[in-house]
Amino acid sequence: MLGKMTKQMLTGNASIAWGVRLSDVDYIPAYPVTPQTEIIESLSKWIREGQMDAGFVTMDSEHSMITAAGAASATGVRVFTATSSQGLMYGFEMLYTVSGWRVPFVMANVSRGLSSPITLEPDHNDILAARDTGFLQIHCETCQEALDSILIAYRLAEDKSVLLPAIVNMDGFYLSFTREPVEIPNKEIVREFLPPYKPTHAFFRASQPMAQGVAVLGGHIYSYFKYQMHMANNNALSIYKEVSEEFKETFGRGYGTVEGYMLDDAEYVLIMSNSFSAMGKAAVKRAREKGLRIGLLRLRLLRPFPEEDIREALKGRKASAVIDQNISVGKGGILYSEIAGVLYNEKQRPLLLSFIGGLGGKNISDAEFDFIFDAMMNAYSTGNVPQPALLYTEAELEEMERLKRVAGKG
Amino acid sequence: MLKVRFHGRGGQGAKIASRVLGTAAFLEGYYAQDFPLYGAERRGAPIAAFTRISKEPILERGVISEPDVIVVMDETLLDDPLANPLSGLGKEGLVFINTTHKAEDIKKRYRIDANVLTLDITKISLDILGKPILSALAGGAASKIVRLKETSLKEAVTRELSDITHEKGLIEKNIEASIYCFNALPSVLIKSNASHKKSDVITMPFEAADISSPSVTIPANTPLKKTGNWRIFKPVWDYELCTKCMTCVMRCPDGCIRVNEEGFPYSDYENCKGCMICAEECPAKAIRKEREVHAW
Repeated sequence: MLGKMTKQMLTGNASIAWGVRLSDVDYIPAYPVTPQTEIIESLSKWIREGQMDAGFVTMDSEHSMITAAGAASATGVRVFTATSSQGLMYGFEMLYTVSGWRVPFVMANVSRGLSSPITLEPDHNDILAARDTGFLQIHCETCQEALDSILIAYRLAEDKSVLLPAIVNMDGFYLSFTREPVEIPNKEIVREFLPPYKPTHAFFRASQPMAQGVAVLGGHIYSYFKYQMHMANNNALSIYKEVSEEFKETFGRGYGTVEGYMLDDAEYVLIMSNSFSAMGKAAVKRAREKGLRIGLLRLRLLRPFPEEDIREALKGRKASAVIDQNISVGKGGILYSEIAGVLYNEKQRPLLLSFIGGLGGKNISDAEFDFIFDAMMNAYSTGNVPQPALLYTEAELEEMERLKRVAGKG
Repeated sequence: MLKVRFHGRGGQGAKIASRVLGTAAFLEGYYAQDFPLYGAERRGAPIAAFTRISKEPILERGVISEPDVIVVMDETLLDDPLANPLSGLGKEGLVFINTTHKAEDIKKRYRIDANVLTLDITKISLDILGKPILSALAGGAASKIVRLKETSLKEAVTRELSDITHEKGLIEKNIEASIYCFNALPSVLIKSNASHKKSDVITMPFEAADISSPSVTIPANTPLKKTGNWRIFKPVWDYELCTKCMTCVMRCPDGCIRVNEEGFPYSDYENCKGCMICAEECPAKAIRKEREVHAW
């Protein structure tokens, strides 16, 4: 059933590129940006060498690139593109526009902290800025998951009851440039799982005039289209479950909308997303060895937001803590707010703690994880939930002091 | 509260008319609110404007869907299903229509149950101002209908037009035209149309993207939309003077001017909007401007 599969050491970027190659993509508009560039370089090399049959066009900007991706998808072909951070911001206007066209292309975003100050390492302010655009979002922890998610994303996006573009997200550096063993599925089996895209609504043809993305005046008309997008995005929840079940049967790897780690009997739950979840899992494992009943919930499908699955995973626990690798400046953790919203009407809701950690790729040390575990247990025993806090160590602050002196500020 | 809705074409002055009425009411101590609604600011395209007048603070905003008074500044809009100027009009309501026709003929033709008043304010504006700009005139008509005072109207026209022109003579003429309309119409006792049509809240049914994407799949339908009824003047060629220089053909912004077998230009009157750029540009002065009345 699994057919012939090969395992290789691949970076996250190469894994994404392989997912695209296996998906029989027809057209790739591209623009380079660190740490994503290796994806489009791999694809362009394969196309040049004849290993992939796709159109590849380098664009003048991400704004044009996302527009081209949407327009090409509107002709009814399968489209892929990739960006990161500043690039995603530069094309931002078009994210809303093309998702409104209801075109099912897939884009990879390789997360990187946003300027200023400019940096290269990951956090999720870039991808979470796109959370309201209409794009589906799948967030990955491993290179294998990144490859597999491309295949799943096309199935989801192209489903007749969805028809929205999708973003597959992974962390820059921590996945994009990190190699680990990845199984590359057999192409024939992939084709059975992901047959060619047959558009029913977006198929520009010569001499067959039609208008897409037309202007509307009047709130009732605009509301209809916007809410239909919302319902279509939500439809992707049940479709996701079917698709991931089929994926598991075909390839032997299963991915829930959320992933539970040592969660079954956990009294305390750490909530994370993307590649840093691996470090969270290690911390949970250590805590378990000390006899603490702690588990981890990893958020994978961010849009549509799997409210029911999150509520089920968290209800009845004593306390949960969200590590937001992002910051809504002036508010705090974005995912904390979203999860608080999910839990508010749940009678058996746990206490909910908020931490900001890993901004710009900052390490989260054992001591910081232990600090969170202690805070959850203390909150439960005292009933006092601490204020949201930044994970930051004394050694890191000392290093900042040194850097400030170097910069002439101390 | 009294709610007045103006319908006009872009450039005719519906927005300023709603402001003249709003300011006149404000000057008499009422609470007032005015607001225009238009699309991509295209001359000749249907627009609407709204004025609310109340003795109490106004806790409404936006579109007036159930007006007490409707002012139709261009009667061809009555045939436009998108502008739909009579929508939401109750039997107690009143419609003022700028037309050459009599009220009873209009009522019959458009099957209007409500009260109708008519006056050819285009003619008045051409006579007094020399051009078909109707803002002060429609504002004057509306002020009379809702029983405001002549002095408030005069001051309102002055204030509103001072914002857009410094030509003192033009303002004076607008006041004259506005007062003319004011005096030509009866004052009417209007019952405020307080009934609110109820429509239940529903659950939005889902439709797949082949239906629910904002796309139009039938072949291009723009040619079906005739714009000839936007005209107030039509260009008429005098072939005795015409030198066949083709300047008019090149200057027509809508590509409406064609050439006949003898090489003379002629207009596609189904689509010509009457902008008269052709007449302005004609070096031989061979194109004259004829007032047009849309008779049925």
